[in-house]
Amino acid sequence: MKKLAACLAVAAIAATACGEGSGNGSDDRTVKVVHLDFGGGDPTADWLQRAKKQYEKENPGKTVKLQPITGGVEDYYGQVARMQQSPSTAPDVVLEDSSTIEADAQAGHLLPLDDRLKQWKDWDRFEDAAKTATRAQDGKTYGVLMASDVRALWYNKKLLKDAGVTIPWKPESWGEVLDAARAVKDKGAADVVPLNIYASKAAGEGTSMQGFEMLLYGTGDTLYDEQAKKWVPKSKGFDDALAFYDTVFSEQLGPSPQQALSGELPNTVNEKMLPEGGLAIALDGSWLPRAWEGDGWPEWQDTMGIAPMPTQDGQEPGATSMSGGFSLAIGKKSGNPDGGWDFLTTALDKANTAWVNTRGNLTTVREDVAASAGYAERNASVAPLTELLKVTHFRPALPDYPKVSAEIQAAVESVATGQSEPDEAAETYRKNVTAIVGADQVK
Amino acid sequence: MAPVAVTSTARRRTGAAAAYSVLGLVAVLFALPFGWLVLAALDGEASLSAGLPDRLTLDNFSAVLTFDISLRPILNGLVLAGGSALITIVAGTLCAYPLSRFQLRFKRPFLYTVLFATGLPVTAVMVPVYGLFVRLDALDSTFATTLFLAATSLPYAIWLMKGFIDGVPVELEEAAWVDGASRMTTLWRMVVPLVLPGASVVTLFTFMLAWGNFFVPFVLIQSPEKLPAAVAIHQFFSQFGAVAYGQLAAYSLIYSAPVVLVYLVISKVLGGAFTLSGATKG
Amino acid sequence: MSGPRTPPAVAARHPNLRRALGPMAPALLLLTVFFAGPIGWTFYAAFTDSALTGPGAADTMFVGFDNFTQLFSDPRFWDSVLLTVVFVFFSAIVGQNLLGLFLALVMRGRARAARGAVGAIVVAAWVIPEIVAGYVWFAFLSDDGTLNSLLRGLGLEGTSWLVMTPMLAVILANVWRGTAFSMLVYSAALSEVPTDLLEAASVDGAGPLRRLWHIVLPLIKRTMVSNLMLVTLQTLSLFTLIFVMTAGGPGTKSQTLPLYMYEQAFKLFQIGYGTAVALVLLSIGAVAGLVYVRVLKVEV
Repeated sequence: MKKLAACLAVAAIAATACGEGSGNGSDDRTVKVVHLDFGGGDPTADWLQRAKKQYEKENPGKTVKLQPITGGVEDYYGQVARMQQSPSTAPDVVLEDSSTIEADAQAGHLLPLDDRLKQWKDWDRFEDAAKTATRAQDGKTYGVLMASDVRALWYNKKLLKDAGVTIPWKPESWGEVLDAARAVKDKGAADVVPLNIYASKAAGEGTSMQGFEMLLYGTGDTLYDEQAKKWVPKSKGFDDALAFYDTVFSEQLGPSPQQALSGELPNTVNEKMLPEGGLAIALDGSWLPRAWEGDGWPEWQDTMGIAPMPTQDGQEPGATSMSGGFSLAIGKKSGNPDGGWDFLTTALDKANTAWVNTRGNLTTVREDVAASAGYAERNASVAPLTELLKVTHFRPALPDYPKVSAEIQAAVESVATGQSEPDEAAETYRKNVTAIVGADQVK
Repeated sequence: MAPVAVTSTARRRTGAAAAYSVLGLVAVLFALPFGWLVLAALDGEASLSAGLPDRLTLDNFSAVLTFDISLRPILNGLVLAGGSALITIVAGTLCAYPLSRFQLRFKRPFLYTVLFATGLPVTAVMVPVYGLFVRLDALDSTFATTLFLAATSLPYAIWLMKGFIDGVPVELEEAAWVDGASRMTTLWRMVVPLVLPGASVVTLFTFMLAWGNFFVPFVLIQSPEKLPAAVAIHQFFSQFGAVAYGQLAAYSLIYSAPVVLVYLVISKVLGGAFTLSGATKG
Repeated sequence: MSGPRTPPAVAARHPNLRRALGPMAPALLLLTVFFAGPIGWTFYAAFTDSALTGPGAADTMFVGFDNFTQLFSDPRFWDSVLLTVVFVFFSAIVGQNLLGLFLALVMRGRARAARGAVGAIVVAAWVIPEIVAGYVWFAFLSDDGTLNSLLRGLGLEGTSWLVMTPMLAVILANVWRGTAFSMLVYSAALSEVPTDLLEAASVDGAGPLRRLWHIVLPLIKRTMVSNLMLVTLQTLSLFTLIFVMTAGGPGTKSQTLPLYMYEQAFKLFQIGYGTAVALVLLSIGAVAGLVYVRVLKVEV
């Protein structure tokens, strides 16, 4: 009896004192890589798998442990943040959204890479914009971008044509986008959704970036004033962007409310609605073709067209886009940063980068990949999408951005579901953002 | 007198008829949501609406019955729920025995605290639990999570086991003590066999609660290979929920089967489906 | 505290205490680390700016009552409190409790087969894991779910229940899921109500309602109060069902306190703030628990 009690006591203390052994196999022979499994034909998992094979071959006796997180994008940031808290769960290498680098750097979750980057000859091949994207305010670089992306209007040529819209379609203002959607609604088949723009908290950054910010940055207003170094919690552009959502959903130009609120919508749009001709216009990311080329829809190049998202009234420069990108970073609590770095440079060498950029239809950030054979010619979307880099914008890389982004999603969702009028939602946003960043940090 | 009796019988009959129709209606209303679960699981082309499958198939089951999708999570769940149930019943019985048998000064306040603790929503406040686990470096540990689940079940286990042991006459044990048996011997040899039905109900009930608990492992465990079925099914839903309704339904049935089985055992132990309330009533 | 005659008394108690502590040690240890631990931690972390990322993650600092000041001035917190009250009142106190009592009453004295069949269906809803109950109701109330199909069959127009009426949806689901518990509790209590008492009243001409009001309810009063407390506490802390069905949305239209806590802590990464919400939840639970202990007036 006493033995049992003692066992339990010892066991309990052992469990609490040191978790399960020392970390989950994160010694200098194993590299633990945490990444998001995007699903929907995304090649990230395959890319890391390739890099793992190569790394293990080049480093006999060492292993890479890939840890995909499958709960969806909106759960990913939280999961990773939770893993970063303790050495036993912290990753050696993590797939990190460039917009969260600042916050995670300040939190002490990431290892500065400057010394290592100096030694890495490939680093010169990265475009300057890509280098800036992973540099925090302290001047140090915390990650290496794997690719960038842009956002635009994908449209089904046949559905627009049937609705009487001239093809190729090149809308020059928000009004023309709405007019095309209305035409589809009036003249198209009943089960075709005219226009999708993400509008839910569940779609997370998809709502903020593919949706709201694509509108806002086409009004001339921004989320954050880089010159004044202050947030802009209230602007006419903000109100107008919400009004655009109000129009789309009150005129039933968008998906049904339940569809719009589903966290599945991004994959449904990509894998079902567009290939099956159930959606006429999608404001979405440059990566969509990855799901179409992988299996079964080689004809997408004939069916789908790309139009840049116009600015609000066609004001200069006429079109707008948002760019972001995922990077590989090394955890500060990593027990094996050297192994992590070796894996990182393997995964991001020229060949592997080219492979994932091409397969994912992503915009490369390495000039040697951009110049390589087969990159630019791989499909019809590359040229128009690359063109958008001239007008694209980046999210404010600030620690408060994720919280501000959550407020954007809340505002958009409440407007799209008809719970709030645009001006009410804008007022709630203003109040909440002021509370988040502090009254002295807003214009 | 006769007419009165007739009226009363007639009234009773209409009463019974009304009661049965109400029961029938309730049964139908409660059964309706289940329709989708069963029908979609057997339907090769299931949607979100319950409908008769064009073709009955077990494909959905074979699609999710793979090691990574459901079998490993089920094993993990068995370790988590089974482990916490065992720890709860052993620690709970050991704790209840002195409380039942000894004169202890702290007994009353302790028991009141235990009763009070049964009401505290500890599994609902996973944020501080997470914070504590970070500090103890116990994140992602199946063992620590098992202990946590056991601890949250302990208050009612102690409370109920004390009640059961109170019901075993101490005279039985006293005779054995005189013969030199230790208290632990009499607890094991004489008390435990007599409280076995109650103890098994507590064990199985703890198992059911832990098996069905999503929030605790969702927050405390991260590694995919350690996740129990409760969380794995959520990931399955997030990933394929919008496309593979039939598989989701099949997975739900597979995941529910153990607790349904356990419940049937509990009602057998107690001789009747309704007596579990005796245990839950406290 | 101790009188002059303490020494012998202590001596008499000590062997008991020593003998008791051995067997109790595992339970005490578990309760201390994993039950009292988190509660203690709550009182600490609720007063810090602890965060999952950003500056608060690097150096956690004491911020005094800042979290609570912010909490109590956040209209969303009060919305969430209100939604929690509505949710608990309609789904637990009215829904589960009254429907459970009603079912227990109606089933009393009915044929065994009928009781068994209806009981099995109602209990099944309670036995299946909570997350499965969530999927079942998600499917039932979806745009193309069973309910809308049935309504269409009747020539009626359905709606997006989960979007247009999220609170109603989660309340109905929770009534469906939890009624069995109250039904079981009341069935047990009713089985102890002496039949001859009711028959005597019946002979005296008391109708069913009067018998219920004057005889049955007074006899099961204590059961009723403790059942109310238990279902209230369970419903107050309910997370998974709502998380699966609406995730607290659309917007914050079904965001009860546990969902609010989850969002603040794990989606917006504010652990300290989320812990402050947890402290509020725990306090409500503690008050309910105290009432429960008092009402039960148990002899221990």
